[in-house]
Amino acid sequence: MASIVFEQVTKSFDRTAIIRDLDLTIEDGKFTVLVGPSGCGKTTLLRMIAGIGPQTSGRVLIDGKDVSRVAPGQRGVAMVFQNYAIYPTMSVRENIEFGLKNNKVPKEERKRLVESIGETVGLSGLLDRKPSALSGGQRQRVALARAMVKKPSVFLMDEPLSNLDAKLRVQMRVELIELHKKLGTTFVYVTHDQTEAMSMADTIVLMNEGVIQQMSSPAEMYHRPANRFAAEFIGLPPMNIAELGPDGVQLGFRPESAALSEEPLDHHLCIRGVIATREMLGSETIYQVRTDKQAYMVRSAEDRFEVDRPVYVGVPAEKLHFFGADGRRIDERSSDVRWYLEAARGLVYA
Amino acid sequence: MRNHALWEKLRPYVMIAPAMAGIVLFVVYPVLYLVRLSFYKYNLMNKAKSKFIGWDNYRKLFGNDDFYKSLVNTVWYTVGVVALTMILSLLIALWLRRSSRWNALVQAGIFTPHIVSIVSIALLWLWMMEPSHGLLNYVLQSLGLPTSTWLQSSKTALVSVIIVSVWHGIGYYALILVAALQSIPPSIYEAAALDNAGRFKLFFRITLPLISPQLFFVLVIMTIGSFKVFDTVQVMTDGGPNQATSTIVYYIFRYRSTNIGYSSATGVVLMLVVGALTFLYFRLLSRKLHYQ
Repeated sequence: MASIVFEQVTKSFDRTAIIRDLDLTIEDGKFTVLVGPSGCGKTTLLRMIAGIGPQTSGRVLIDGKDVSRVAPGQRGVAMVFQNYAIYPTMSVRENIEFGLKNNKVPKEERKRLVESIGETVGLSGLLDRKPSALSGGQRQRVALARAMVKKPSVFLMDEPLSNLDAKLRVQMRVELIELHKKLGTTFVYVTHDQTEAMSMADTIVLMNEGVIQQMSSPAEMYHRPANRFAAEFIGLPPMNIAELGPDGVQLGFRPESAALSEEPLDHHLCIRGVIATREMLGSETIYQVRTDKQAYMVRSAEDRFEVDRPVYVGVPAEKLHFFGADGRRIDERSSDVRWYLEAARGLVYA
Repeated sequence: MRNHALWEKLRPYVMIAPAMAGIVLFVVYPVLYLVRLSFYKYNLMNKAKSKFIGWDNYRKLFGNDDFYKSLVNTVWYTVGVVALTMILSLLIALWLRRSSRWNALVQAGIFTPHIVSIVSIALLWLWMMEPSHGLLNYVLQSLGLPTSTWLQSSKTALVSVIIVSVWHGIGYYALILVAALQSIPPSIYEAAALDNAGRFKLFFRITLPLISPQLFFVLVIMTIGSFKVFDTVQVMTDGGPNQATSTIVYYIFRYRSTNIGYSSATGVVLMLVVGALTFLYFRLLSRKLHYQ
């Protein structure tokens, strides 16, 4: 059990600062997901916690203790790597045991621990196999077992599911959520996949270009994105963004907030366009509606609209988001929103 | 129809025939011919006077003290060269594993002896090892260290030849091991760091097993090569002093014109020894290797 605190942390590679003066607190016992596009610095943050890519300046505290000078193996953290980083020359048992041996855990206890962890992750019959004789999913479990057996106070995971096929990934996602619930330890999970972030996180830390864009619960991030970047990164398809007026204010709405109709709608915002593409996904259909200015994505339960047919897209006022010229969210309680709502109405038949 | 089926059967053999012809002509035939020669008292001047003498050459060989001396020299030479080269090139490889411009430069420097002819190198060292005027003794003396007789005494001659061979080969083998070390994913070391592995454990449980295939390759190739050492001996010592550096191949060379049958018998024995040793290596070590 431990919280993690970054204080004024900077990390540079070859004199290029990837992360500059970053402050962040990761709460004890929470499942925190660091998410963002590749190169945003999320893995760099994770490696700083682990101590395998220490910060250039600033402090990292685990459980209130400055670990800047503590070796990775002494920090009480365990990590699951993207490529699993299993020791290829050791058997599954030796892989899981290696950390325990280094920490001078007695033989009897080691045996007991390895076997019980093997049971937990479903590797019981495979303990004496070499990693080369395992499937991708099984290797993933070895990596997980190797981390779990050390009973760390912090679990670090660097895109652990990205090498699995889609089905296994969804299954492992559920297992990780259950694991977190069972262990109750701090999980820090890095991914570039917003679906993974949304489905597993207690707290999402959204990053871009080394800067934290928003840190909040998945629901908050979805319903009240702090800026345009958050609005467009979270959600699939991303939020539709349209220019609103000369002062650079932009309007946004989620594809699932919009209604489609062949007749004009009396929603607050109503846009006429033509269906350009149609993706039928089973329970829902995603349409791309093109106006003469731009295209909007609309997610609908109905699949009756056909390509090249004119349609109306309607969005209720409470589902509209506004972003200032700097990209930041304009709070719906702000007095200016009334004006923007008026302006949005002006977009009718645009 | 039957013709067609026949062709289908023959085709693979016809396809590999040219390559097989080459192997038979240049590998199988010379080896068999060597074996055949070893059973003859061969007359180079007049082929008609050659005669089959059965195991005589072998009997003579195994009754000759000089042969044993050469064999023992060769074994010591091999042990010395293989052990020293492997340890030193591994240490150098560990030192050069991080790829940087400086390391690349050093690596190129260490590799350079490999592209120089061994004859030139042997001559150079011969000159440096000259006891009274050579560079090595001069340096030792100015450092206040005891000097050596190098190639001129039967006590130090073999060691001197070993030094030259090690110096010559080290760059090449270090290069192979550097490549092996660099192919180990860094995340393995990061995982080991998180597993609290000490330097000693890291080396013996992670690094060494991961480069074991390359180490094994170096071991086999160097053992075979060292057993066949000739050029350094020929240039530097002529097998002397007092046969202290005479090796098996040098022994073969000595009888090349006087008794080619005897020479061939020695060659066959060398072939069997090297073959047996390689077989032994594979039997003893192959289970300890970790191919990925």
